[in-house]
Amino acid sequence: MIVLTWILAFLAAFVATNLPLGPVYASLHPDFVALLVLYWAIGGNGSLGYTLVWGIGLLQDLILGDLLGAHAMGLVLMLFLLYLGLARVRRLPPWEQLFFIFLLLLAERFVVWLWQGWTTPVRWHWALLVAPAFGAALWPLWTSLLDRVFQRQTRRG
Amino acid sequence: MVGLFFRRPLPSLLRVGILAALSLALTFYSTTHPQSRSMGLFLASPVLAADQALVRLWGEGQDYLRSRDQLLRENARLRAELLQAQQELVKLPLIRSENRQLLALLDSFPVPPGRVTVAGVVAQDLSPSNQSIIIDLGSRQGIRVGQPVLAPGGVVGQVVAVSTWNARVALLSDLDSSLPVRPEHSNTPLLLDGTGNLRELRVPFQARDTDLKPGTLLVTSGLGGRFPAGLPVGRITAVERPTDAAFAVVRVRPLAQLGQLNTVLLLWPGTRPSEP
Repeated sequence: MIVLTWILAFLAAFVATNLPLGPVYASLHPDFVALLVLYWAIGGNGSLGYTLVWGIGLLQDLILGDLLGAHAMGLVLMLFLLYLGLARVRRLPPWEQLFFIFLLLLAERFVVWLWQGWTTPVRWHWALLVAPAFGAALWPLWTSLLDRVFQRQTRRG
Repeated sequence: MVGLFFRRPLPSLLRVGILAALSLALTFYSTTHPQSRSMGLFLASPVLAADQALVRLWGEGQDYLRSRDQLLRENARLRAELLQAQQELVKLPLIRSENRQLLALLDSFPVPPGRVTVAGVVAQDLSPSNQSIIIDLGSRQGIRVGQPVLAPGGVVGQVVAVSTWNARVALLSDLDSSLPVRPEHSNTPLLLDGTGNLRELRVPFQARDTDLKPGTLLVTSGLGGRFPAGLPVGRITAVERPTDAAFAVVRVRPLAQLGQLNTVLLLWPGTRPSEP
């Protein structure tokens, strides 16, 4: 049951990423898939593997029709950075944790941007900073929402 | 996997390194095999179906919540537009017959307007490196790669990948997009390139003494045979001549609202823009 919930959660994250709600939404919405990966990795205390995350990123690339490997690499590097300081992140007070989440989301965005720049001359855009900031601001709401969903599942399971 | 091939789990850095190498190989593959985008579209079908349902729900919710006042105002505006359109319509037969005579003089024959299909937008990706939309028609409805796509105002882009139920349309603003155009009242062939910015396109390689002027309307030139000639594309907003550059910078604003597309039109081969 928990596996199905995770699959549905990622499906919802892919749907939210793709919604055609105009340029403002496109530039400002946080990377829901990355937020879900962060929640899983922090909650799972390091049990989330790199290969699975790479596969999720690859699926995101395929769905977005983007350069294959860009999001896959972004998520893997984000996870690597998180695991470097996972024990510390779990003990951080909420406000400092938000800053760390912002840095991780920014790192993921930056890697995707660099990767895409390999084939096309992409330019730095302010939205690359704003979307991770929105993601970090959403973090408390996001974790409390997912806590409710997954704790209910754990109790049932 | 670990037990089968390795005695101990690989160090994290090595695992990340292997995945980075795999990602590089895939990136190389996707740049050399553009058809990999169609595969993604097929895999994305459940996500796109959910997007489509949400978009419909969103539209219905907005209609429901719209107040009576707003509806009355919209009604009045639409009536005014209809009145104006009716006035224009009266002139149309005259212009059409005049156009036929002129085409006959030029020894070319007008092709009657072909089939046009309406499609709904179900998803978008407007990141600077990939500006595309996904529509709710696919190979089942006969959609093919290369088909021109229009919206109110002008050209939007063209179909770049097709799956059974959906198709991906690369917008004019996509960095890989390049469209043959010409100024409305001249036959000078130009190219119009995407910049990754929804509201700005560029005409590359124009000499510093170019006679292009802000305000000029650019239409499709028909070169390449993919787009019919004469479709409005964009208007020149600025012609800059930086002292340190060999070419002029010609900025163009697309006529269609590329970031706010709900419905688009697909043209079929043999379609000519309506006369004149």
